[in-house]
Amino acid sequence: MWEAIVNFFTNTLIIIYQYTGQNFGVAIVLFTILIRLLTHPLMARQIKSTQKMQELQQSKEWGDIQKKYKDNREQLAQEQMKLYQKEGVSPFGSCLPTFVQLPIMFALYQSVMRALASSPMQLLILTRAVWTNGEMSNLIPLNSQFLWMNLGQPERIYIAGLGIPLLALIVAVTTFIQTKVTMPPPNPTNPPDQAAAMNSSMTMMMPLMMGYFALTFASGLAVYIIVGNLLSLVQYALLGRVYWSNLLPKSKRQEKSK
Amino acid sequence: MKTKLSLIVLALASLALLVSGCAQGLMPSSWPGVTADAERAYVAAGPFVYAVNLNTGAEVWHFPEKASTANPFNAAPVLTVDGQLIVAGFNKVLSSLDPADGSLNWEFEGAHDRYYGSVLATESMIYAPNADYNLYALTLDGDLVWQFAAEQAIWAAPVSDGERVYFGALDRRVYALDAQTGALVWEQTLNSAILASLAFGPEGTLFVSTLNGSVFALDSRSGRTIWAQPFDAENQIWAAPVMFHDNLYIVDMAGLIYTLDPARGEESLPRLDADSAIVSAPLIANEVLVFGTEEGTMFIIDQAHNPQTVRLSGQLYGAPAVSGDLILFAPLETDDLLLAVTLEGIQRWGFSPED
Repeated sequence: MWEAIVNFFTNTLIIIYQYTGQNFGVAIVLFTILIRLLTHPLMARQIKSTQKMQELQQSKEWGDIQKKYKDNREQLAQEQMKLYQKEGVSPFGSCLPTFVQLPIMFALYQSVMRALASSPMQLLILTRAVWTNGEMSNLIPLNSQFLWMNLGQPERIYIAGLGIPLLALIVAVTTFIQTKVTMPPPNPTNPPDQAAAMNSSMTMMMPLMMGYFALTFASGLAVYIIVGNLLSLVQYALLGRVYWSNLLPKSKRQEKSK
Repeated sequence: MKTKLSLIVLALASLALLVSGCAQGLMPSSWPGVTADAERAYVAAGPFVYAVNLNTGAEVWHFPEKASTANPFNAAPVLTVDGQLIVAGFNKVLSSLDPADGSLNWEFEGAHDRYYGSVLATESMIYAPNADYNLYALTLDGDLVWQFAAEQAIWAAPVSDGERVYFGALDRRVYALDAQTGALVWEQTLNSAILASLAFGPEGTLFVSTLNGSVFALDSRSGRTIWAQPFDAENQIWAAPVMFHDNLYIVDMAGLIYTLDPARGEESLPRLDADSAIVSAPLIANEVLVFGTEEGTMFIIDQAHNPQTVRLSGQLYGAPAVSGDLILFAPLETDDLLLAVTLEGIQRWGFSPED
């Protein structure tokens, strides 16, 4: 099953590559857009579900529960669940698309590595995975150069002998921005709760994790993550769910809200 | 909650590493290569190059002392006329060893990528193809004389007529260089990547097979095409062409064996079918052609074009070697790193290293 998914991705990438000037970077960008278009209904549902949950967490009722049961975590959790049920919100609804995205990301990584086939065994596997054997042979080796990077290798820009992971930094920054501006600002009248703490942790953990992936793995994956982040921003913006003020320092944000 | 979140992130990161990183890392990048002299077989297989006693199948030595699974050896070792054994691996280093005890003579560390193909050793020079797109020319003492950059990786050993060095690269080109200076004499662009070595034919003809199943005859003096694609293989070609008894033998990845008239490129004898992919060039041994197939069969063709098959084990991707009456295969996906068999199919020994 997994192999079939990776093969499907590999062939899709190669077909896009074949018809877009044989540039693998362009193929990854277009492939990412294609995936985002296909998963947009799921994403839109997630955004709405997340929004609904976040609105609930900002409500007076939620704040009252937080205050009332602040010393009884078990009871607090039960009351929160009741509130979720009452409002018809699934606390896991917003996680599902993330879990859909992750296997796509892993499969894409393997597809990029497979398509670029930098060793004899990889090439042997690639030639057997492709649908159009004869035509494919004419494309090999695929052009792995995109802008300044080799898409099959982790990216570094060398300045005075020092390797700077520019792409990993861009991944971390775009992930940070994407995570930060798509979270509604907390209700200042409610006490800080676990959900807010979790959001805050996610804002820090996700950029670090994605940045680490970009630092370690082939730069083709980093291109996918960056394009994915930008497309996420567009998707959120289209649904009116981007909070640019989140990027301002807390004091300025409070000033602005007054 | 924070602990839970950290656990989720950690689990996802581990999953990512497992699926993305380790899955790639566990897969071999190439297949073992073997060569032999009168006393020992030398097999480059994974973390070590082993020397194996041909009479007993016992290990004589291995190199290097400590294993590095990240930097395996796969290119078949090469013996030089002055008694060196040249080994090259994924660690970007070319090493000269004493074939008797595996001790190191010298190392060349000038390459920037892996060595997939074997070197060519002539009477005075060593020509080493590398995945960093360069062909390195060294003296027999390991000193760099020149290097030539192709447009893509070079995966196979060059050939030489003494005056020039010829090789194909993944950039679809065949290059002819001055053997002494590395100056480009000519280059010829073909229709697909060239994964295998070239073969010399009569009157300075150079035969080239390309990945997409085509075969070309070039004039080695000028690079001019003598004939091109009078026939196309039914599948891809990974193996080098071989001249055997005035015929040109070509094998494809469907296991079909074609016999061509080297002068015109037309099929001169009926096709034979090995029923399994043939990745490497055949060995000419004791007046027969010997192929290894992906399904573990030794396929033999005699002078009268009669086929014979012997079932061995594993996947026989690499080219076999010969010493006396022993045919040596370095299979994948089996317990033995090296098999010594006779042409009659009798297995003399199998070598698997001690842990």
